[in-house]
Amino acid sequence: MRPNVLIVDDDQAFLRLIQKDLEGFSESFNVLTADAGNAALELLKKTYVSFIVSDLRMPGMDGFEFLTIILKKFPDIPVYMMTSYDKPKTKDVVIKSGAAGYLKKPFTAIELFGEITKTLNKKAEGGSLHNVTLETFLQLIEMEQQTSTLRVVDKKEAQGGVLFFRNGELMNARVGDMQGKAAAYEILSWSNVSLSIEQDCVFQEKIIQGDLQAILLDAMRVKDELAEKNEMGDDAENSEILLDAPLSETEEDLAEAKFEPPVDRISTKKPETTVKVHPIKEAVELSKLSPIDTIRMKIKNSIGDRDGILDIFHDPNWDALIDQASNIGNAFNCGRLNVLYVNREKDDQFIIVPGEETTAISISADAPWDRIIDVLG
Amino acid sequence: MKDIFKDVMGIAGVHGLMVITNEGSVLLSRFDPDYRREEEKLSQINWEPFTIEMNSIKDAEIVYDSARFYIKKRDTEFLIVIIGDNAPISMVRLNCEILLPLLKKIQPASKRIGNLLRKKIF
Repeated sequence: MRPNVLIVDDDQAFLRLIQKDLEGFSESFNVLTADAGNAALELLKKTYVSFIVSDLRMPGMDGFEFLTIILKKFPDIPVYMMTSYDKPKTKDVVIKSGAAGYLKKPFTAIELFGEITKTLNKKAEGGSLHNVTLETFLQLIEMEQQTSTLRVVDKKEAQGGVLFFRNGELMNARVGDMQGKAAAYEILSWSNVSLSIEQDCVFQEKIIQGDLQAILLDAMRVKDELAEKNEMGDDAENSEILLDAPLSETEEDLAEAKFEPPVDRISTKKPETTVKVHPIKEAVELSKLSPIDTIRMKIKNSIGDRDGILDIFHDPNWDALIDQASNIGNAFNCGRLNVLYVNREKDDQFIIVPGEETTAISISADAPWDRIIDVLG
Repeated sequence: MKDIFKDVMGIAGVHGLMVITNEGSVLLSRFDPDYRREEEKLSQINWEPFTIEMNSIKDAEIVYDSARFYIKKRDTEFLIVIIGDNAPISMVRLNCEILLPLLKKIQPASKRIGNLLRKKIF
């Protein structure tokens, strides 16, 4: 699967021009564009991106704000900043802010291609292995106490995720803008994957608690349950990883790439319910688990038994509030309503999840509602 | 009055804040200059159905794709703070706890304009 490169600039003419200039390198990567930081973030939630180039000065969310969000939510994606307002200290400030590189406008497509390939080759520097299951490969990393960033692409769903290892410990995982254990479970639920390895890890702090063996066992249990419910099991014989080669792809790889759906045809449609799209959820939907069970499982997977949930039930009494909140969100142009937290005078607290049927989650006074919102939001 | 909101507006990622009466009138509105257009749209909303639905709350948070509305209710008003998805929400909550008791000093804009006109005319 060819990597996706995202270019963010409010100058639409520039975007058209650079996209056209980079067409000549389309065998190496796909070029995606966004004309604002918010639009780019939306795209990043749905599409696996390997490299970002962003303008520094943009109306609304400027390049620094965008970079801050990327470093927080998508820390494994290298971001190059570009600007035509080049001052003596601009580059220093940009690099100190966490950007992977800096480009002064105007630049040529060849220069940009050089930076992209240099970075993408580094991301796949770890070589390749074949005919090993993802679980086995992760156990090898643990045994050898490796520090690495693994980029996993789910070939079936044409989406990607990242696993971060430091000294053999699983530090964090990311799928879209979701991080932590839930993201790890999701990646581990994928059967037909390709993988690239970078021998570095951006995380110093261990975000995912618990050891890898326990996580793998849990993930396998969830995977088995889903497979049973789906009565699919057809991926079992394909559960091997095929590692992505660096950009110097073989003819075989390129031939394989031809069968990948073009990025603009990869479905980015979200389901009706407001819980974020990811394969576990999609599998759950396939297996006809109710939205309530899906929500319960997401929270349990991410937070554990101390989630403070008293009850989860459908409650249409919140529909009017959801309608009003959606109207307000539309006026502010801030996207879809994902979740509401309500603390009422009687000290009863609810988290409300919109959907085909509104779901109310009654929580105790000491519930980690912030974390529940993060999981569902 | 500006000082009251300065601390909240000074938090990185806070786009704006509004004070709305239980009846849905906009008492006050302060926004980052980048969000003037959104401020205008929000000021045109009929807030009454929303405040009716929110009548029994102490506080609430509404999470959208790219923003979060933090809402805190006082006796007769709602304080609404609009923040980006990377803003330090706990800092916003803390500042609003401090800010809310000061809201009793705020009077509706229309009343203040009325007083001003009265002085000019009479």
